Amino acid sequence: MTQSTPSDYREASARSLRDTPSVRTSVGSATRTFDAHRVSAFSEVEYDRWKDWARDTKTHALTHLDTYLAQASAQLEARGVHVHWAETAEDALSVLDEVVERHGIKSAVKGKSMLTEELEVNAHLETLGVRPIETDLGEYIIQLLGEPPSHIVGPAIHKSLDDCRALFHDRLGTPLDADPDTLAAAARDALRAEFLAAGLGISGGNFLAADTGTIALIENEGNIRLATSVPDVHVAFVGIEKIVPRFEDLAGFLQITARSATGQAIGLFVSLIQGPRTPSEIDGPKEVHVVLVDNGRTRLLADDTAWEALRCVRCGACLNICPVYRQTGGHAYGWTYSGPLGAIISPGMLGLEKAMPLPHASSLCGACVDVCPVRIPIPDILLHWREKAVDAGLAPTGETFGSKAYAGLAERPASFAAANAALRWTPWRAAGRALPILKGWMQERSAPTPSKKSFRQMWKEGIE
Amino acid sequence: MSSTRVALFATCLADQFYAEACADTVRLLRQLGVIVDFPEGQTCCGQPSHNSGHRDDAISMVRHTIDVFKDAEYIVLPSGSCTGMIRRHYGQLAGDKGQQLSERTYELSQFLVEVLGVESLGSGLQGQTLAYHHGCHALRELGVENEPLNLLRGAGAEVVDWEADRECCGFGGLFSAKMPEVSAAMADHKLETLPDVDAVTSADGGCLMQMSGRAQHKRTGPPFVHLASLLWRGVQ
Amino acid sequence: MSTKRDAILARIRDANSGRTPTDHPGDFGGWRGDAGPATPLQAFVSGFEGVGGEVVFVDSEVKASQWLADFAKPFTSVTIGEGVSSALRPDLPIALPRNAPLAISQARGAIAETGSLVMDARDGRRTQLLTPTHVVVLSPENIWETVRGALLTLADDLPAAIGLHSGPSKSADIGQVMVKGVHGPGRILALIIGCAPEKP
Repeated sequence: MTQSTPSDYREASARSLRDTPSVRTSVGSATRTFDAHRVSAFSEVEYDRWKDWARDTKTHALTHLDTYLAQASAQLEARGVHVHWAETAEDALSVLDEVVERHGIKSAVKGKSMLTEELEVNAHLETLGVRPIETDLGEYIIQLLGEPPSHIVGPAIHKSLDDCRALFHDRLGTPLDADPDTLAAAARDALRAEFLAAGLGISGGNFLAADTGTIALIENEGNIRLATSVPDVHVAFVGIEKIVPRFEDLAGFLQITARSATGQAIGLFVSLIQGPRTPSEIDGPKEVHVVLVDNGRTRLLADDTAWEALRCVRCGACLNICPVYRQTGGHAYGWTYSGPLGAIISPGMLGLEKAMPLPHASSLCGACVDVCPVRIPIPDILLHWREKAVDAGLAPTGETFGSKAYAGLAERPASFAAANAALRWTPWRAAGRALPILKGWMQERSAPTPSKKSFRQMWKEGIE
Repeated sequence: MSSTRVALFATCLADQFYAEACADTVRLLRQLGVIVDFPEGQTCCGQPSHNSGHRDDAISMVRHTIDVFKDAEYIVLPSGSCTGMIRRHYGQLAGDKGQQLSERTYELSQFLVEVLGVESLGSGLQGQTLAYHHGCHALRELGVENEPLNLLRGAGAEVVDWEADRECCGFGGLFSAKMPEVSAAMADHKLETLPDVDAVTSADGGCLMQMSGRAQHKRTGPPFVHLASLLWRGVQ
Repeated sequence: MSTKRDAILARIRDANSGRTPTDHPGDFGGWRGDAGPATPLQAFVSGFEGVGGEVVFVDSEVKASQWLADFAKPFTSVTIGEGVSSALRPDLPIALPRNAPLAISQARGAIAETGSLVMDARDGRRTQLLTPTHVVVLSPENIWETVRGALLTLADDLPAAIGLHSGPSKSADIGQVMVKGVHGPGRILALIIGCAPEKP
């Protein structure tokens, strides 16, 4: 499947709705379920105060990011971890080149990590002759399908049970009517062998505690624990914004992320990793690398409005609540990060031109504001990018002209009234061919019926 | 007791497409003893340009609006989104003058409850079964949530449970035309979950236009009636 | 590469240069307005059982040994964590974690607010992860009330890895239907040696 880019959003979303309507059903159901669990999980705790704390801790971390990164790096090195700093995706991927060659790696088991998707780690491993194996069940499913993930917590939420049955029947030989337990058992057996044979385990990092250099990872299956414990070498890719100041801060973040993502008190498996196995340990990786990745994050940090997006803990709550995301899932956005999250970070990380029109993939309904555990002001950031797009000349010409014309009229009440009266009587169907904005409306809806008289006219005549 | 005096801001959309609802707003306010002015220099609050990032265009409309309504003690709108624009953004866009205007500006049901202290209008909606759509701006920018429900119920209507009542209808101003397919799918979700009712109502003409336009296109759906018209009926 | 490190840190400083640094908000305190009537032990049991974990109480090491011997009967072999008392070892052949159907580990402690077992890498990670059935030995004195409380203690003595295991492995990735034991153990039992819980 060829992957789209953000600029294809309009076509990709239309195509998804038209050609694969089951995606809307599956995504709609999964996101609503996640959100209901979130609501339930937070009804029993002090949600507002917790969100304030999480926002303030992350803001503090970001305003002292250089200090904390240096501290984390020193801690990791003191425990024998190889720390690498990657300005670009190429820098990050090149770490793998050296590791693969030195150890003669043939296969690598991977835990779910959006950063490794962003960097396109799997494709790079293949160029090195290494077989990348996704071990998260949802990632495993989409890897078999050759698709990118559709949601940051549930990569395969756009696939129904029947889709999975057909896929597993084809690849693993399970019966077409197999129940989920049978399918899971087949995946488990297939992946077990891979965990034990792989020379390399790859993970991301949910959080990096600066004072102990701890990488924290959250999951429900146990595959990340396995990928970071069984192979002899572990490489962790961690975005520079994942810093939290103190080991004990992990308590607040692990729990608020779990509750926001799936409504759980905590993920079923949490890994707190300090480095390679110590002399008294009988297993665990002998060599650990941590790659601290920029890849556009410092560009986002430099933006005085959008930098707040770097507080993101990747819980997916904004995706789950977003009525726009719910119609298509993540693929339509054409990038690793979709939904409201993708819309606010893509212009910073990819540049506005490449990211358009994602800041417009929103009705500005504001539902995301209440669910973000670190209180990112998502609609404000969307507006900010829309303004910057206009300043950069990226708004459609017709729209710019129309807005200017309308503003001009709006200062001249008599002309305004006359122009609106004319618009009311324009045949929308015919005019739609000339004015894209009317065409967009008419494609999906009946033209609105204008009032017989404008209110202005009624007022002049006297309201009874 | 001297009468309350308000300036009606009809809004560019309602002026053309929901004129009767604007007239019902006037009738309702007069029935409640309010004197209604209609400053004829009014045009547009600037929201469509603002939300698409055309900030300079928006600011010129903001300044014009501030000037038109500068002498009004209260400004009332039959629209949650335009009220939200003024209350949430005018201070930031036009400094003190914008801030002062925003503090005198109300959506209709908000005005009835908060300023006039209306609890029950009458029994004109007895026997009516309604679904209420919470427009996003009214709900999240203004915090207007219970006011319309209480007024409708207080006038005898049954307002039913609707699982999607607080979800965005997909209008979003220009969004509805820029991303029409997704916008329509959002409206579809509203329509797909709608219980059997006599009418759907909302404080926003844009939302009503979006949902009724989609419903008509799909040849489905009950009537869509503006909140102002139902409240006017309620007081009789 | 020190130049890349320097470049990244310099860009961060530049980005932050116009910004007022903010303070750390400090300790949150607690997430719940009301902690509820449960003791830490009760809270742990309730959380752990709530997600499908099993809890067994025995009041002495002797009883624990008897229970384990009985429990282990249907299994063909076992893998045992480094920290498990030799008195507790059932009479079964020892197998590698990759082959054993049953594992017995010694927890470093448990956490009440999340129903989590705290697993230390020094006990042996493969034993903690590779078998379908996992018995974890726990002393009730080592139950922290909160995750934060646990982390504050653990920070003084950190192995290469700590795992918080809060129930049997689960996934809902197959058509949103819950399945167990996809990678980690599908069955996990906390064997609590010391006291029985008071009935709430």
